[in-house]
Amino acid sequence: MEFFDNLPAMDLMRSEKMTFVQLIIPFESAHRAISYLGELGLLQFRDLNDDKSPFQRTFVNQVKRCGEMSRKLRFFKDQINKASLLPLTHPTLQPDIDLEELETQLAEHETELVEMNANGEKLRQTYNELLEFKMVLQKAGGFLVSAQSHKVTEDRELEENLYLNNDYIERASLLEQEMQPGPSNQAGLRFISGIICKSKILRFERMLFRATRGNMFFNQAPAEEYVMDPVLAEKVLSRLSELEATLDAGIRHRNTALNSIGSHLKKWTDMVRKEKAVYDTLNMLNFDVTKKCLVGEGWCPIFAKPQIQEVLQRATFDSNSQVGIIFHVMDAVESPPTYFRTNKFTHAFQEIVDAYGVARYQEANPVVYTVITYPFLFAVMFGDWGHGICLLLGALILIARERRLGSQKLGSFMELAFGGRYVILLMAVFSIYCGLIYNEFFSVPFHIFGLSAYKCRDSTCSDARTTGLIKYRDTYPFGVDPSWRGNRSELPFLNSLKMKMSILFGVAQMNLGIILSYFNARFFASSLDIRYQFVPQMIFFNSLFGYLALLILIKWCTGSQADLYHVMIYMFLSPTDDIGDNQLLWAQRPLQILLLLLAIVAVPWMLFPKPLILRKIHIERFQGRTYGLLGTSEMDLDSELGSARQRHEEFNFSEVLVHQMIHAIEFVLGAVSNTASYLRLWALSLAHSELSTVFYEKVLLLAWGFDNILIRLAGLAVFAFATAFILLMMETLSAFLHALRLHWVEFMGKFYFADGYKFRPFSFASLPEEDD
Amino acid sequence: MGFLITSLIFIVAGVIGALLARICCNRGPSGNLFHLTLVITTTVCCWMMWAIVYLAQMNPLIVPILSEG
Repeated sequence: MEFFDNLPAMDLMRSEKMTFVQLIIPFESAHRAISYLGELGLLQFRDLNDDKSPFQRTFVNQVKRCGEMSRKLRFFKDQINKASLLPLTHPTLQPDIDLEELETQLAEHETELVEMNANGEKLRQTYNELLEFKMVLQKAGGFLVSAQSHKVTEDRELEENLYLNNDYIERASLLEQEMQPGPSNQAGLRFISGIICKSKILRFERMLFRATRGNMFFNQAPAEEYVMDPVLAEKVLSRLSELEATLDAGIRHRNTALNSIGSHLKKWTDMVRKEKAVYDTLNMLNFDVTKKCLVGEGWCPIFAKPQIQEVLQRATFDSNSQVGIIFHVMDAVESPPTYFRTNKFTHAFQEIVDAYGVARYQEANPVVYTVITYPFLFAVMFGDWGHGICLLLGALILIARERRLGSQKLGSFMELAFGGRYVILLMAVFSIYCGLIYNEFFSVPFHIFGLSAYKCRDSTCSDARTTGLIKYRDTYPFGVDPSWRGNRSELPFLNSLKMKMSILFGVAQMNLGIILSYFNARFFASSLDIRYQFVPQMIFFNSLFGYLALLILIKWCTGSQADLYHVMIYMFLSPTDDIGDNQLLWAQRPLQILLLLLAIVAVPWMLFPKPLILRKIHIERFQGRTYGLLGTSEMDLDSELGSARQRHEEFNFSEVLVHQMIHAIEFVLGAVSNTASYLRLWALSLAHSELSTVFYEKVLLLAWGFDNILIRLAGLAVFAFATAFILLMMETLSAFLHALRLHWVEFMGKFYFADGYKFRPFSFASLPEEDD
Repeated sequence: MGFLITSLIFIVAGVIGALLARICCNRGPSGNLFHLTLVITTTVCCWMMWAIVYLAQMNPLIVPILSEG
């Protein structure tokens, strides 16, 4: 065991050592110090003011100003999007500007933009009115061409003074008309013309009919291009073109302004975001007694201490402060946050494990083994090297375009796939391996590794369909023999093989889990856990299921016909009976009785001693102190023994006993159910292989049997579609999910506490992006 | 090829993998130990898979019976 102590600490095995620190920052260097710390990103601040509302905090005004500025920036972004301008991405080498300057600049730009928009609106409205007037002239000119031509000039005057806009009629000039006696009345007609919405035409016509008691003539035409009277037209047209020119100039002016804003927009947005984050963090700090310094507390990893100290020194120097920043270590009451330094490869696996629960501070991290066993168990359920090659191509494409895809904003499904690209890569590689072992290439077996081990009994192969082939050579060297495909006895053979394989993998992985709990107990120096939890767990599990695994191996090696179900069940029901034909080992009956007794003894061993000894320790420790301090009755016993702190708390024996009983029962019952749960490895691999066979035989081969090229192409297309969507997508997700469940429940349930919290340092890099 | 010989081949492949990992990505003692763990886990998993399938076919209880047609 000293061998394990002498090994260096493994990279991801346990979380980084953290320390609780206190910072005392003089006021003038506070802002600079926090922004430098934000760039470093290795210190998690504790909120010392969380009992205050957001409006009672010190820097609430600055936060409000930042909020205003970000609102203005969002407004600019909207305007740029509406004007459909492409955002300029050329790097601007402008010098850094101050926050106050930025504020005034933004205010100026905003007023300018708002004014330009308002003017543009007014111009556009005038333009539209004039356009409508032009259309009225066109139509009315058409209607009245049939009227007497010498009245045309007066008519034109009339038209000039009248126009109608939706429901609004101007009658003033009609009245004037009536005052003038004369020849204009010869036609006996009054007329008005204008533009109206198409949907309101019927109502308008009816209203006119009622108003004029039926003495009216109504003509309408849709607004299109029409030939019209040149003189009036000229005036209107020139006015229109003036307005158009003005509008265009206005738009161009606005676009220039927007462009000039747009080139700075990203930089300004980043600046404002950072400033807001800095002020939010400053709000978490407290003023000390002298009111000249800010006091902050937080967690940082021990390896980061020199970096943080260097950053703080730089901040002091840059802000020309006389007093340095004090940075020292403190004791903390709560347990530290969990921090793993992952790279882009291990990050995805750590996320998978963290989705179940964040590791307790410094407990064994399952990721170390999950990196390999998770893709491996996926591959056991997915095993087909043709599909594996497709997955590999997909993963390689994602990895090759890593840089480009990483900076884009992707849809939610693509984002998941991109984030897990290394997981998919490993899954694909292992799938190819398992596919070679199962000997399935889109469900077709190949003779890659030599000749098959089976042949007909005689040269006529007469009984090949009744009694079958015989094994005449050594076993096929790598994987499943290709002779099995398509036989009547293929399924019984493969089922037996895969079920036993699942049990063996299950026993191996669960033993690994129990051994990891030993290493945890050893790390936290809890010999109680080792003696009264690890040892009985190992004994119970291996005397039953380890024995089953051993029997499986022996049956395979000797080729015995023993029925393992029978052996296991009667080991419990009547252990003293004669084993008879099912004998696999020498002295099997006494061995089974011994194992059964060991298992029975192990159950109370993992149930009773630990609570009793804990009670004894507690009584010894606080002997004679009848008036202990009142504390919480809830205790975390596993960490209590490891922590150095004295806790004057009540020891609730019944609660501890119940907790231990739950743990023991969960293990005992879980031993059976978890082992059976591993049979899903068999179930899914069977489903995958059967689906694959069906698509190959019933779609591709069937279509290929016809001579018609169209049917062949159609069959190929259906085969490709079915493979891509059902096998590659649905089966991948399904096997992904089941492998995940096997890891979370069966493997991590044996040793993982998962009651820690994640380390979230104050870092500019991890600020949320503004949503578009 | 025999069970033992192929198992030896797996062990040799594992050793070669560990050496390659040490040569290509030398990252200090803690990192190297992590890579070594990964290589050992891979070797054990792959060997187990192969060994199970091989052992199951060594002394078969049923033989392939061809189907009709």
